Amino acid sequence: MAINKKEYLQEVLETHKMSHVNSLLDKYRDKRKSIKEALEDYYTDKIYSPLNSGSYAKHTAINTKFDLDVVVPFKKKSFSTLEEMFDDVFDFLNDTYGTEATVRKQKVSIGIIFYKDDDNHEISIDIVPGRELNEDQYNEDNKLNLYVNSKYGLLAEKTHLLTNIKAQIEHIKSKDNERKIIRLLKIWKSSNNEDYKSFLMELITVKAFDKDNISGNLWEMLESTMEYIRDNITKDGFTLSDPGNSGNNVADTLESWQKENLSTKMKNMLDRIEDNSDNLKIYFPVNPDFKEEDNTKSNEGYGVKTGASTFSVPTQNQRFG
Amino acid sequence: MRRNRLDIIEKAVEQIPYVNIKEPFSGDVNIEGKVSVEFESLSEPLEFDVTIYPQYPFRTYDAETIRFNNKDYLEYNHVMGDGTICIHTSHNPDISKKLLIDFESLKNWIEKYYINKKSDLHYEHLITRESDFKGIVTSYMFTDVDYTFNPNQFGFVNLSLLSEGKNGKKPIHNYLTKGFADKFGKKIAICKWSKIYNQLARPNHGIFFYSEKQPATHNRFAYSNWEEFIDVFTGDFLEFLHQCEKEYIKKKRRGEYVPFYIGYNIPNGEVHWLVATLEIGNFPIEGTKENQIWTSKLLNENIKWATSRNSSYKYFFGRGAFSSKLTKKRILIIGVGAVGSNVARTLVKCGCTKIDLTDYDVKEPENVCRAEFQFASGRTDKIEEMSNVLSQISPFVNIHTVNQPYFEVISKALYGENKAKSELEDFLNSYDLIIDCSTDDDLMFVLDSLNLKSDHINLSITNHAKELVCAFNPNTYDFVTKQYSEILDNNIEDLYNPTGCWSPTFKASYNDISMLVQIALKKINDIYQSGSPKDNFIVKSDMDEGLNIKIIQY
Repeated sequence: MAINKKEYLQEVLETHKMSHVNSLLDKYRDKRKSIKEALEDYYTDKIYSPLNSGSYAKHTAINTKFDLDVVVPFKKKSFSTLEEMFDDVFDFLNDTYGTEATVRKQKVSIGIIFYKDDDNHEISIDIVPGRELNEDQYNEDNKLNLYVNSKYGLLAEKTHLLTNIKAQIEHIKSKDNERKIIRLLKIWKSSNNEDYKSFLMELITVKAFDKDNISGNLWEMLESTMEYIRDNITKDGFTLSDPGNSGNNVADTLESWQKENLSTKMKNMLDRIEDNSDNLKIYFPVNPDFKEEDNTKSNEGYGVKTGASTFSVPTQNQRFG
Repeated sequence: MRRNRLDIIEKAVEQIPYVNIKEPFSGDVNIEGKVSVEFESLSEPLEFDVTIYPQYPFRTYDAETIRFNNKDYLEYNHVMGDGTICIHTSHNPDISKKLLIDFESLKNWIEKYYINKKSDLHYEHLITRESDFKGIVTSYMFTDVDYTFNPNQFGFVNLSLLSEGKNGKKPIHNYLTKGFADKFGKKIAICKWSKIYNQLARPNHGIFFYSEKQPATHNRFAYSNWEEFIDVFTGDFLEFLHQCEKEYIKKKRRGEYVPFYIGYNIPNGEVHWLVATLEIGNFPIEGTKENQIWTSKLLNENIKWATSRNSSYKYFFGRGAFSSKLTKKRILIIGVGAVGSNVARTLVKCGCTKIDLTDYDVKEPENVCRAEFQFASGRTDKIEEMSNVLSQISPFVNIHTVNQPYFEVISKALYGENKAKSELEDFLNSYDLIIDCSTDDDLMFVLDSLNLKSDHINLSITNHAKELVCAFNPNTYDFVTKQYSEILDNNIEDLYNPTGCWSPTFKASYNDISMLVQIALKKINDIYQSGSPKDNFIVKSDMDEGLNIKIIQY
């Protein structure tokens, strides 16, 4: 049975709102606060004030999978090399949180995943160390050099990446429609275990809106964005400029086969949704934890009617083999 | 009619410019004659006896029905042991045209192999004239060993009788070579068959000698007389042969046969074994006394060659197999019903060698029609049945049956317990690929919650086998359940529910199911071969407008 795509996607977004997980978010905020304080106590005048970044700061977070990001801006004189800075922050976090969390080096950040608490909550905070380019320059333009710890698309390991986190946050500010589409693509990514970078999805969505004058209802905007990705990501010379550093082409974080795969995935998704709009449920599932139950639809999903049977007849969703 | 056929042949041959008839064609059944062939680049005419069989111009038993023969040309390539020139020509139902084609083929042979003495890059095994032993045909299969034989090395061969059957109208004994032992009987090499074949009952043994050179004349014809081995066999070996025969006679085996393996290297570096049968009490040796010392000497006797075949993995699956990226995997199949058994059998037929099976169910007679089971074995555990079926197909597949409680008890009763979870993860991560065909939603849920490094594929079908759902981890549980509950039209009104049945089942034939499974496996093989992303897909078939089969890619 065909669904109303616009209404369905609105429900998807609604069930993925961060406001549904306020108590969990409070735990995140508390952890983030204590980590920031620990970093400030330890590094004192070597750093500027750590700032919140990432999806939550950009209002593109979804409640099924998220972390909080903190950028730690180091002063030029703090370390002689970016690698030393990165290793030192890792050592500090590992010494401080190693007994209560898994601390690991990631591509440009250090991930802290706290062991599950009594509520089975697993809190994850990413720390991104960066160093200003010249003495006192950070105060002027907010630019930072990040350390590239492991191969990042075309960027080799042990290199650096110039960026501007504040400019990145500004880039997405007051772009409500884009943020909805970014959130939907993140829901797809998360529920289908795709490991494309959120930052890349964010930039490509903003670019799609810029280039293709995307408008219409929620489904129409999503469809246009997916078509844009399908048609453009593999093009020679296609770039996604980092708003924090126009010289940084974020499209290069994907190798060419990954771009091919992303384009193919968009094509398959569009085709499947065209075949049968119910396929939206495969790619963009509602978060069942926050779905408003509608008694008139109790025969859908895994409700009582499909699950229970009073005699030995297979249920409607019975598989065979 | 005969006269007419003879005239047609005579006239057709006369008109071939480079052929002269030396002896006119004659004969009632087979037509025979002699011709000489002469053309510019040939220094002197070549003569051939020509035999034309009654089936001509049609081929029979996959062979030409015209023969050009001259034993003087045995040294040249593509000449059979009886002097027949080996030609392969194209079909033509017209005798005159076919003769023209066949003589042209003979001319090509003369130019290529007689004048230019071309040798082919393609190596062909030595030609042996095989014969039975007292009316029994014997055949010996061997495979690779991790061992390098030394020139003139000899000892014993361990083998087992694999089967007895018919070959033409004669009985045949098929033997499996299991390994080699030195002259004292100590094992030196084990053939790389699966465990079940290396443990075959009905043991037997033979004798081997590893030769430095091919035992052949013209590099093509295996020796036919034992005396030809005079420069090959060492005195030590002949003495060993003599002692063996004495032992056999002591064990009252006079008149029985002993297989004698003669090994040599072929150009690609592999060891090939020819096998002859020796009759106990009539070994082709005799003792002679020279300078007061007894020595053994080879006799002038024809060799009774048996059939030997290199059945190593490379040749066994040489005609077609799945990608080695799939066949080298250690695979666990959960559930061997209609889908799982078809998957298992196809994987084995396509070269997989490490397969474990798990299923708690028992095979019922009504399972046979659409699963890869046999009626003959009666009611038996499905995994026991499949182990036997798969082992009978391939001598390289090692099948283990897995403890079912892992899936029915540990995975479910202890769900959520960290120790059980990590134990199950460790166990499953010992596989490279897990294929779940169990259709157990609860198990699918549990497996989905694990941290699996191994690939995990979930396969199931809808009623009437309209669709097959193939899902890869980590996108199994949500994808599969949504497909069945939201997307696919899985009509369960029309189930098979015969009298006395307490659990209705889906309707579909072996043909319906295996068609979907084969397409899915072709796609899975391609994913591994090409390194494509492991994206979920549906195989869909319908007969709405004729047969329509498609893969729906997610």
